[in-house]
Amino acid sequence: MTDAPDLALDPVPRRNRSLRGGGPLRGDDFVALAGFADVAGEATETGMRPGALRGAARGRDLDSLAHTLFLRIYPVIAVVVLATQIGTAWVNYTDAMRLYGERATLLATLTARAIGRPDWAANPEIYRPQVQALALDPAFRFARLTDAAGAPVMTIGETPRTRSWDTVQTVAELTVAGEPAPVGTLTLGLSTEALRGNAEKQALMALGASLILMMAFVLTLHANVRRHVLTPLKRLLAAMREVEHKRWVSVDLGGAARASNEIDVISSAFNRMVDGLRSGDEARTLLAQLERAHRDLEGANRLVMESIGYARRIQTSVLPDRLALSEAGVEVAVLWEPLHLVGGDYFWLEQFDDLSIVVVADCTGHGVPGAFITLIVATALDRILHERGLRSPAEILAALDGMVRTQLRQDGRGSDSDDGLDCGICLWNRADGTLRFAGAGLSLTAIGPGGAVRIKGGRRGIGYPRHGETMPDVADVTVPVEPGQVFYLMTDGICDQMGNPQGGGRRLLGHRGVTDILLDVRDRPLSAQVTALDDALTAYRGGEARRDDMTLVAFRPDPEAVRSAG
Amino acid sequence: MDRIQIPATDRSPAVDFDFSAGLLRISGESYPEDAAAFFGPLLQSLRAYLGQGGENAVTVEVALAYFNSSSAKALMNLFMALEDAAAEGRPVAIRWFYAEGDDTIQEAGEDFASDFSYGSFDLVTAPQAEEAHR
Repeated sequence: MTDAPDLALDPVPRRNRSLRGGGPLRGDDFVALAGFADVAGEATETGMRPGALRGAARGRDLDSLAHTLFLRIYPVIAVVVLATQIGTAWVNYTDAMRLYGERATLLATLTARAIGRPDWAANPEIYRPQVQALALDPAFRFARLTDAAGAPVMTIGETPRTRSWDTVQTVAELTVAGEPAPVGTLTLGLSTEALRGNAEKQALMALGASLILMMAFVLTLHANVRRHVLTPLKRLLAAMREVEHKRWVSVDLGGAARASNEIDVISSAFNRMVDGLRSGDEARTLLAQLERAHRDLEGANRLVMESIGYARRIQTSVLPDRLALSEAGVEVAVLWEPLHLVGGDYFWLEQFDDLSIVVVADCTGHGVPGAFITLIVATALDRILHERGLRSPAEILAALDGMVRTQLRQDGRGSDSDDGLDCGICLWNRADGTLRFAGAGLSLTAIGPGGAVRIKGGRRGIGYPRHGETMPDVADVTVPVEPGQVFYLMTDGICDQMGNPQGGGRRLLGHRGVTDILLDVRDRPLSAQVTALDDALTAYRGGEARRDDMTLVAFRPDPEAVRSAG
Repeated sequence: MDRIQIPATDRSPAVDFDFSAGLLRISGESYPEDAAAFFGPLLQSLRAYLGQGGENAVTVEVALAYFNSSSAKALMNLFMALEDAAAEGRPVAIRWFYAEGDDTIQEAGEDFASDFSYGSFDLVTAPQAEEAHR
C-alpha cells in the first residue's frame, strides 16, 4: 500500500491525501499544500521542449482519477470476495455439523442396542464399559443414561448445564423387543470445538485473501492507470499549457507510455488541432509581415509617385500652349498621354509670322528616362528654331540629330547611351499655302475629302550612336493641302495597342486600325476626334495594358488660307 | 556553347538559342524597362557563337506580337551581327513571323529585311504569330 499516497494525490490537501491516511508528505505535496502548485508548475514549464514533457505536468486532477476508480471498484470486489468466502465457510460448517450429528446418532444407537435388556436398570454397572467406550471418540463430551422413568442412572463426562452451541447432542432410546415403551434413554454429547477452529481459520484466510487481493488490485490499477492513462494525459495537459502560450508542441505518446486507444485518438486530434492552430498562427504572422511590407512599399511608392508628380509638372511646363497656332487660324487638338505620368513623348507648336511649326517626337524609353531625353530635345529644338533660325523640316531634323548625339556623347567620345528619337516635323506656310514635312521614323497621316494618305518619313530615327553609317538624307516633302484636310502626327504608342477585339487572336491595332477610327470621326471637330480616338483605343485594348506613351497632334490649316493660296 | 532558354514574361519574350542545332528563337512580346540589359547578353552570346566560325547554317525565328523601339534597336543589333556573318559566307536565314493582317509587325519586318543582302530574311504569315512557336 505504500504506493497509495502517490496514486491518490487529492485535489483537496485537507482530505488526507492517501487511501488509508498516513503516507509521508512529498516535495510535491508541500508545494500543493502551500497553494503554489500551479505557479511552480508553470514556472518549470517555460522553455520546455516537447520531448521533456513527461512528468512535467502536475496533473493533480488526474491523480484523483485513480483514487476515484479505486474507491468505486474496490468495495465491490471486496464484498464479492468476502461473500464468497463466507458462503463457502457456511456450507462447510453446516456439512460438518450434519456429519457430527450422524456420527453421534450412530454411536448412541449402537450403544443403546447393546444396553437394551429388560432388566438393565437393575444392575447398570454391567454396561459401564460399553458406555465408557464412547469416550474413545476424540470429540466425546459426555454420555448420560436414564431409566424408563427418566431418572439418571449413569453419567460419564461433563454434562453441560444448558445446551451449548459447540456441542452436538443426540438421544437414543433403549428398546426391548416385545415391550412397547422404551426402557431408558442414552444421551450422547459430542464437542464441535474443532469445527469452530476450522471456521476461524477459514475466516482469517478470507480476510487475508481479500487483503492480498486489494494490494494486488491497487498495484495493478496504479501501474496501469499511470502507464496507460495518467502519463499520456499528463503529457497532453503539459502540451495544452504550452499551446496556451503559443508554443506549438505536439504530443508523442510512443515508447514507454502506451496510451489507451481513446487517449491515442484524443492525442492525434490534439496534434491535428495544434497543427491547424500553428499554421493559422503562422499565416497571421506572415500576414502581419506582409502588411508591414505593404505599408513600407506604399510609403516608398508614395515618395516615388510624389517625385514623379513633380517631374510631370516640370515636363508639362516645357510643353507648348495648345492655342499657340490659333492666331494663324490653325485648329489644333492634342492627345499627350505618358504611360507613367511622365514619358518620352514630346511635341512642340510655335508660330513664326506666317509659319506654323508642329513637331512630334518619340524618344526611346518612357517614364523618367524618356522624359530626360525630351528635355534634351526641347533645349536643342529651342536653339535650332531661335538661335539658328532653321525653317526647313529636314534641316531641323539634321540639326536635331547632331545636337542630340553631341549632348549624349554618341559622337565617338565614348558613351553608354544608345538612345535617340523618332521625330516628325510639319511646317505650314499660310502665306503660300504649302505644307512641308520631314520625318525620321515617324509618318504623317492626312485625312481629307479624298480619304486618308500616309506620308512616310525616313526609316531611321535620329540620335543613336552610328557605327560608320551616315545619316540618311531626309528631304522635305511638300504635301498638297485641300481645304478642310486634317493632318495627324502620332507616336507609335498610338498604333501599338495590343488587343483582341474580335476574339481572333491578340494583335496590334496598327496604323491602318487608327486611320480607320479617324476616318469614322472625320467630320467632327478635332477635339472631339481626339476624345473619340482615345475611347476607341481603350475599347480596343479591352483588358490589355497600354504598352507605351502616346501622343497625337491633329491640326487643320485654315481652309480660307488654303483656298486663297490654291 | 550552352543553350540559352529564357521563359517569357509579360514584358519580355521567350528566348531559345539552341546553338548546337543552329536554331535561335525569340517569341512573345518585348518591351522590357531596360532593353539593353535584356538583349545585351543575348547579343554577346550570338557574337561569340558566330565568332567561332563554322559552316553550319544558322536559322533565326522571330515571332513577336509587339516590341518597343528600344527592343527594335536591340533586334537590329542582333540582325547586324547575323548579316556580318552571312557576308563572310555563313548561311544565315531569318524567318520573321507576323499575324495575318498585322501591318505593324509586317512593316517592321520589311524594314529589317531591307538591310539584308547576304543573309536571307523571309516574312512568314501565320494565323497567329504567337502560336507559331508554341
